[in-house]
Amino acid sequence: MSDALGSARELVSDRVGDRAGEWDRAGRLPLDLLRDLGSAGVLCAQVPVKDGGLGLSSKENGELTAHLGALCGSTRSVATSQGMAAWVITRLGSRRQRTAFLPRLTGGELAAVAFSEPEAGSDLAAMATEIRRDGDDVVVSGEKVWITVGAYADLVVVFGRFGDGAAAVVVPTAAAGVVVERVEDPLGCRAAGHATVRLDSVRVPADHLLGAAGQSLSLLVTSALTYGRVSIAWGCVGILRSCREAAASHARSRTQSGKPLAEHQLVAEHLAELLVAEQVATRMCEHASTCWDDGSPDLVIASVLAKHVAATNAARGAASAVQVLGSAGARDGHPVARAYRDAKLMEIIEGSNEICRLLLAGAA
Amino acid sequence: MNIALGLQDFLVTRTKRSWEPEEDLFASGVVSSLFALELVVYLEKAYGVEVEGENLSIDNFRTIRRIEELVRELQAAAS
Ligand SMILES: Cc1cc2nc3c(=O)[nH]c(=O)nc-3n(C[C@H](O)[C@H](O)[C@H](O)COP(=O)(O)OP(=O)(O)OC[C@H]3O[C@@H](n4cnc5c(N)ncnc54)[C@H](O)[C@@H]3O)c2cc1C
Repeated sequence: MSDALGSARELVSDRVGDRAGEWDRAGRLPLDLLRDLGSAGVLCAQVPVKDGGLGLSSKENGELTAHLGALCGSTRSVATSQGMAAWVITRLGSRRQRTAFLPRLTGGELAAVAFSEPEAGSDLAAMATEIRRDGDDVVVSGEKVWITVGAYADLVVVFGRFGDGAAAVVVPTAAAGVVVERVEDPLGCRAAGHATVRLDSVRVPADHLLGAAGQSLSLLVTSALTYGRVSIAWGCVGILRSCREAAASHARSRTQSGKPLAEHQLVAEHLAELLVAEQVATRMCEHASTCWDDGSPDLVIASVLAKHVAATNAARGAASAVQVLGSAGARDGHPVARAYRDAKLMEIIEGSNEICRLLLAGAA
Repeated sequence: MNIALGLQDFLVTRTKRSWEPEEDLFASGVVSSLFALELVVYLEKAYGVEVEGENLSIDNFRTIRRIEELVRELQAAAS
């Protein structure tokens, strides 16, 4: 393990610890936690050292994301968004834009990424948000929904139509015309600050428009989601790790019908399946991250595969963990109950199960 | 490395057919929505170039000929 990964893990263990249940019930993460993790570079840990980041490889960042995902799905969601925002700026921006924005993201400012709209969920081609140039400015109008971190964000990377093509633009939430409204009571990752972000003729300087403006929406969105999918997949490995540990420990310590639950074969089967689910998801994530680190074009489909396998395994694994714990896990605030709600959402975001399968079918 | 030959290999693996130098890769409906990014990642690794945001125009990747030109331009700009 590199020193940077070791210290980042330690900081996460120390600052997040076992507080996720409390934050989940409150529906809020402490802002100073996010600022501190952000300024330590932990929320977008692949940003190169020269831009103020930790310069972790995808595999190291994945390990960190799994650790965070095992402790707190909401904080992990924030890291996925922040990391994706940094990646979008890196992939779609110019060198000058990387130098301008990345140090802000590793300096404590928080960022969200906005694709979804009321009429554009799985079908992002239906996106209606308009981005246009006006003299030295860029004007952005539209409505984005379910934006993770939206309620905490200083910056939102907004995708929209731009002339005949598409563009992404970095919008400060303090700009005139930006209205952020929290999504109350989401099913899971309840403290991740999901919000509706309305943009009413928001004016930002032209250098906030990322260099790839005017290009194909599909290329821009795939570029962004490739990072998001790898990150979510590793987060799901974390969910599986915490569920396997909780289920195994409970099954070994609780006795029914004269022996520990773990010695009843039908319960043992759940434990075996949890281990398989975690290991398979981990291998898929390692493969995607190795493709990333090696610069292999297989990365694109490997990220879909990892996200799909890890999300479905996490949803199934979390349900098994609740089953093994019985009434002990059937209570709001228990880590497996939280994992159960969080994991279900992983099957919907960054390409739902169905959309992932369509993409995988295309590669078959 | 001969850029056109390397590209042909890559394209045959991805699309399971061969391509003429001037044929439009995107007009055929053969390539998937993920293909353009796979191509960008391939070019960066195979030819040691960096495709910046402003170069991400699909027109730069439309034909083997055009991709060759882009790679040569990026190589020249970097050296
Ligand atoms: C917790 C959470 C966090 C989120 N964070 C963000 C964020 O940070 N930024 C952002 O931009 N968005 C975010 N979203 C939105 C998310 O990306 C969308 O919810 C997702 O893309 C699905 O869109 P939808 O909800 O409109 O569902 P729909 O697209 O309406 O789909 C509903 C159902 O129909 C299926 N379906 C749709 N189209 C097809 C098809 N062609 N073939 C087969 N099945 C299909 C879907 O798989 C799904 O099961 C978040 C959502 C959630 C729940």
